[in-house]
Amino acid sequence: MFYLEPLNQLPKILQKLKSLAAVFLAVLLLGIIRLCIPQALSQGPVVINLLLTAPDAESWKQGIVKDFEAKNPGIRINLIEGPNATNLLEDLYTSAFILGDSPYDLINMDVIWTPKFAAAGWLLDLSDRMTKEELAAFSPKDIEGGSIEGKLYRIPMRSDVGVLYYRKDLLQQAAFQPPETFADLLKISLALQKQGKINWGYVWQGRQYEGLAAMFVEVLQGFGGFWVNPNTLEVGLDQPETLHTIAFLKETIQKGVSPPGVTTYIEEDTRRFFQSGQTAFLRSWLYVWPLSNAADSPIKGKIAIKPMVGATSDTGGACLGGWGLGIAKSSKHPEEAWKAIQYFTSEEAQRQFVLNSGFVPSRRSLFTDPQIVAKYPHYPKLLEIEDRAILRPPIAQYAQTSDILQRYLSAALTNRMTPESAMKAAAVETRRLLGSREWGF
Amino acid sequence: MTIRNREQRTAWLFLLPALLLLLFVFGYPIARAFWLSLFTQNLGTKLQPVFSGVDNYIRMAGDGRFWQSFWTTIGLTVTTVSLELLLGLSIALVLNQRFFGRGVVRTIAILPWALPTALIGLAWAWIFHDQFGVVNDILLRLGLIRTGINWLGEPTLALIAVIFADVWKTTPFVSILLLAGLQSISPDLYEAHVIDGATPWQSFYQITLPLLMPQILIAMLFRFAQTFGVFDLIMVMTGGGPGGATEVVSLYIYSTVMRYLDFGYGAALVVVTFLLLITSVAIASFLLQKSRTSLGSS
Repeated sequence: MFYLEPLNQLPKILQKLKSLAAVFLAVLLLGIIRLCIPQALSQGPVVINLLLTAPDAESWKQGIVKDFEAKNPGIRINLIEGPNATNLLEDLYTSAFILGDSPYDLINMDVIWTPKFAAAGWLLDLSDRMTKEELAAFSPKDIEGGSIEGKLYRIPMRSDVGVLYYRKDLLQQAAFQPPETFADLLKISLALQKQGKINWGYVWQGRQYEGLAAMFVEVLQGFGGFWVNPNTLEVGLDQPETLHTIAFLKETIQKGVSPPGVTTYIEEDTRRFFQSGQTAFLRSWLYVWPLSNAADSPIKGKIAIKPMVGATSDTGGACLGGWGLGIAKSSKHPEEAWKAIQYFTSEEAQRQFVLNSGFVPSRRSLFTDPQIVAKYPHYPKLLEIEDRAILRPPIAQYAQTSDILQRYLSAALTNRMTPESAMKAAAVETRRLLGSREWGF
Repeated sequence: MTIRNREQRTAWLFLLPALLLLLFVFGYPIARAFWLSLFTQNLGTKLQPVFSGVDNYIRMAGDGRFWQSFWTTIGLTVTTVSLELLLGLSIALVLNQRFFGRGVVRTIAILPWALPTALIGLAWAWIFHDQFGVVNDILLRLGLIRTGINWLGEPTLALIAVIFADVWKTTPFVSILLLAGLQSISPDLYEAHVIDGATPWQSFYQITLPLLMPQILIAMLFRFAQTFGVFDLIMVMTGGGPGGATEVVSLYIYSTVMRYLDFGYGAALVVVTFLLLITSVAIASFLLQKSRTSLGSS
């Protein structure tokens, strides 16, 4: 009887079901037990996740991470190698934070991200963890760049500033002192160009991107202007100082001191120009120094640095860049993460990090540290420049503010708009963005 | 209750699950975006929503970047869709002929459409690279240029490069749609037309084009909507650069939401873009309907 067959098998099936249920119950029980055991009791080390660009991760892996783990057996630092472009790194952080449960405990931040991440409530307030005396070991602007509304969110790890590079050999041959003012810069460039020593005088970053904003604040400082006052959110883009700044930048192109293509250049384009010996002056970051002094560089040993020149005397600013560490608010191990920050930003770890990687330290004492100066003789000079550091506006809406400036500044530099109308529009849009309801229509 | 009424009620009952799904998947997000667009929710408000009425829309009216990206999107869409229709139709006509190896050629012709867009974007970025790109290499070898052209670094050239890549990528889609339409046209019509003394050109204009019109309009509609919202290809190829020259509306919305965390304003951008797209699609559908009825009556 075919249709009764299943009925005959019923006991067997029940038996099977029983064992299945038993397995299920066992798994469930195990899960519950696992959940009930407090985290501290489970023996594995605490893992702290840190996202870095892949090339940066190399220099971390070798020294400081190993040392830290050796000193803190209960903590393991998991370096996550991210994309090399920093804006992609920022996107990775942002999407992780927006989704809520960030997988990253330590946040390695560019100085311009900090206000945004902090204002969004993604970072742990570190104000109470360091005393004023401890903070004094760092450059004041580095600390200011990591703070918003009086609270500290980022401890500086690696400093960086924009500087003016010049060819000391060419200047000496032509008996020139290093320039002090924008006029000097143009005069010396034109003289050297006339002598046929170089094709161009001065290169800077003119492409519409973040580097344009960094270059701009330095010259603007030299003319005594301001972009956005972070305290009052006042916008200074339609002030005469801004127009003087643009006039100078355009003059470098009009007089043939800078190549016309400079308005499309980013850092690397300008570095290649400088390093191939085609120009006497360059505005760039500190990474140029080791590359231009490498064994195969045509200008090895022929360069020097100084802060950006100014309108009347040496009044230009040095745009602050660099990286620092913060802790994600969603981190489950803030204490362990803080321990890691303390170690990574300690004098001992920084010395080793700097000697290994060639990066620039954040602790002021290390700029004149004998061991470091022996390897990088230009660091004491850097400390001088650090004291002239200026911040791009440390405001929550910096990214948007910067994009507005870049758009209109680029339009003015490439003659698509007059400087007056471009900066007026930029000022109106920035004011509108920063919220004051007086919109200036 | 008449039978007709009862049937209609049954029909609605059958449609209900689909309608609910549509409402949930399309209606809710749009309504939510509209609601959000009435608030200011950004870093200035610590990501808390603050009701601000139509402020976001007023801000948009004076936002030069939005309008620039809007016109870029329109220009890009019109150019690529026209080129795709032209090329797609030509390819479909060729593929509709009998020739040796037609099946293989048809498969190869659909290949660009089948490949992932992000990879295509990377590939084209390399092809147009100013130092190592194939395009510059060919032009240099042919002696047409002396130094490499910075394709993705110049505003106009970058836009051309993006259009080129998008046309290459999506022409197959158009040609497959049109090929299906061509195959539904009876060969008898052409035979009769030839016997009446028509030239091939006349056959094309008097039979192929009018009978293919519905497929052409459908292809146009699809491609219009897709190109209007194009994101991945441009994001990978140029990231919207240089200097925002290839920034389309979807990229601007991405920046507004992801980089600026300006959720209210981003929502306003989405709503306006959506309305503009809906309007264009409505116009196209109207044309489609009209061509169908005119075909039906002739």
